[in-house]
Amino acid sequence: MPLNLKELSKKPELLSPGHRACAGCGSVVAIRQALMAVDGPVVLAFATGCMEVSTTIYPYTSWRVPYIHNAFENAGATISGVETAYRALKKRGKIKGDIKFIAFGGDGGTYDIGLQSLSGALERGHNFLYICYNNEAYMNTGIQRSSATPFCAATTTSPSGTVIPGKTQFPKDLTAIVAAHNIPYLAQASPHNWRDYIGKVKKALDIEGPKFINVLSSCFRGWRTQPVTSIDIVKTAVETCFWPLYEVENGEWKLNYMPKEKLPVAEWIKVQGRFKHLLKEENKPLLQEFQDWVDKQWDILLQKTGDTVHKVVV
Amino acid sequence: MLFRSNNSILWLLKFRISKFNILKTEATTEPILICGNEAIGEAAIQAGCLAYFGYPITPQNELTAYMAARMPEEGRVFIQSESELAAINMVFGASALGVRAMTSSSSPGISLKQEGISYLAGCELPAVIVNISRGGPGLGNIGPAQSDYFQATRGGGHGDYRTPVLAGASVQELADVTFLAFDLADRYRTPVLILGDGILGQMMEPVKFIHPEPVDLEPKDWILGGAKGRPPRVVKSLFLGTGALDAHNRKLQERYRIIREKEVRCEAYMTDDAELIMVAYGITARLCREVVRNLRRDGHKVGLFRPITLWPFPSLKIAELCRTAKRFLSVEMSYGQMVDDVRLAVNGKLPVEFFGNGGGEILTVGEIEEYTRELISS
Repeated sequence: MPLNLKELSKKPELLSPGHRACAGCGSVVAIRQALMAVDGPVVLAFATGCMEVSTTIYPYTSWRVPYIHNAFENAGATISGVETAYRALKKRGKIKGDIKFIAFGGDGGTYDIGLQSLSGALERGHNFLYICYNNEAYMNTGIQRSSATPFCAATTTSPSGTVIPGKTQFPKDLTAIVAAHNIPYLAQASPHNWRDYIGKVKKALDIEGPKFINVLSSCFRGWRTQPVTSIDIVKTAVETCFWPLYEVENGEWKLNYMPKEKLPVAEWIKVQGRFKHLLKEENKPLLQEFQDWVDKQWDILLQKTGDTVHKVVV
Repeated sequence: MLFRSNNSILWLLKFRISKFNILKTEATTEPILICGNEAIGEAAIQAGCLAYFGYPITPQNELTAYMAARMPEEGRVFIQSESELAAINMVFGASALGVRAMTSSSSPGISLKQEGISYLAGCELPAVIVNISRGGPGLGNIGPAQSDYFQATRGGGHGDYRTPVLAGASVQELADVTFLAFDLADRYRTPVLILGDGILGQMMEPVKFIHPEPVDLEPKDWILGGAKGRPPRVVKSLFLGTGALDAHNRKLQERYRIIREKEVRCEAYMTDDAELIMVAYGITARLCREVVRNLRRDGHKVGLFRPITLWPFPSLKIAELCRTAKRFLSVEMSYGQMVDDVRLAVNGKLPVEFFGNGGGEILTVGEIEEYTRELISS
């Protein structure tokens, strides 16, 4: 199927309407787009989180495909079990045809409590795709900081006050941690660039072995923005190089999008209430620290992808 | 006197003052309107908790958020861990340094903490663990439940250990037992559980933070605070030599015997002439109190017995009540857990009935009353 809007609009959605996610939820968009890349049978596993809670309020379900949820910390292990059972049944000729396996987890269930489980599944080499819908905090339980929460972001467990300016740490680089597992394919994506993102999911599903995609998903409740900006805001994250789009295929790092003009990270920060204290005059050094961090991470990435900053054409 | 029919909080205070001399009666502040989760947090801070380690889970998130904001203000430490497992082991680390440390969670998260609780018990390290419980098993739901009673009162993790379990029935009492929890933990070098539920954690009531009198706690001569100028110390739960583990376990059991003897807390309400005595704790006891009032109005001789310490369970008090009562009724938001302890205490002398649901949804006064009326007329 060619990747164009006309064809995609014909595809039946695997996540049906009527789920209980917020209007303007970036994670739902990220998940619907990912599933547009699926042809044929698929089994989904979810870690505890917004998307699990809002799509499966038993006895209701929004899923038109088989779905499994276990607990918070083990989407990687749960999908490992399902995929192993599938292989065992297939070996004995009890299942014919190909089934794809996709595990979804938020940043809490992936960066934090689910990291061990994910790492184990990647190392063992199960044939599955793990997609982290990263909305940069524990949004399901009421906006607590995670190790994906950006520097200085205010959350209920990293509140900004007169002394402490929100979260005092920078987020960990989960995509690089996954890359260190030397799996056949991994990528970073954003739903605003649907062609790039859906293409990555498609590519990943065609590859044998463990695959991983980290997709930035806005949460207007936690980011303190307006629901209508859910897609614009992740685009700005990419344009500021806070969230670069890249992939690593068999160890080859490749940048998928080079902004024509690298915007200052303040452009992304200033539209989000969780950073509003950063715009105060006295917090300028913190904003600079944030910008320096983005610049450094961007440089490190470009070294890996072999791109040079000269490519930036103003 | 260990046991008295009286107003709950006042009775609790009198009892504690006379028996242990650890609570001041005068309030240190005007009452403030605060939810149960926040009340536990504030009481912990006032009790000298220097380190709090939390992780998100509903319905206890207000406690974590409260500590995130308040602990740094007091120059204390708040850490959000990467998992419940990490949080309980951070408590282990802090406690080994002699610091008053606390963690909190709700049922599924408390399950994850069980390894750490077992190690704390084995290593004789004080700690306070708060369970604002919810429906189970598995993911269950986020409604209030009392179905973690077995897990809380039987140790919960591996090995032969117990932990004191304190169950308040109001936001005020949650604050009160939090002060108590830290003292019990230090006095007996044991992890102490506070067992609440989703309703108590989230409902708001006026609270006064009543500081206990300074207790004569033994100096912590076991902390791992640096061995300069003294022989090194060891805190461990590993005992490999022949008989070594048993000697250690005997020591723990002796301590549990003392806790059973000295630390029982309970409340009795209209039990003196009661023929039917309802037994309930936590939020369920609040419902049963209303049922008792309604039934008394119609002339039925009904009373309420409320354990505040679920372990040690007030078995002797229940045995005493067997002399005057004719029947017991255990009411729980579980399908029958505390009722086992009531039956053990009654020891076959009287019938023990049970009424409850599986938790995750609160019982109503109406349904408890209906069952109790049927029981009385049967």
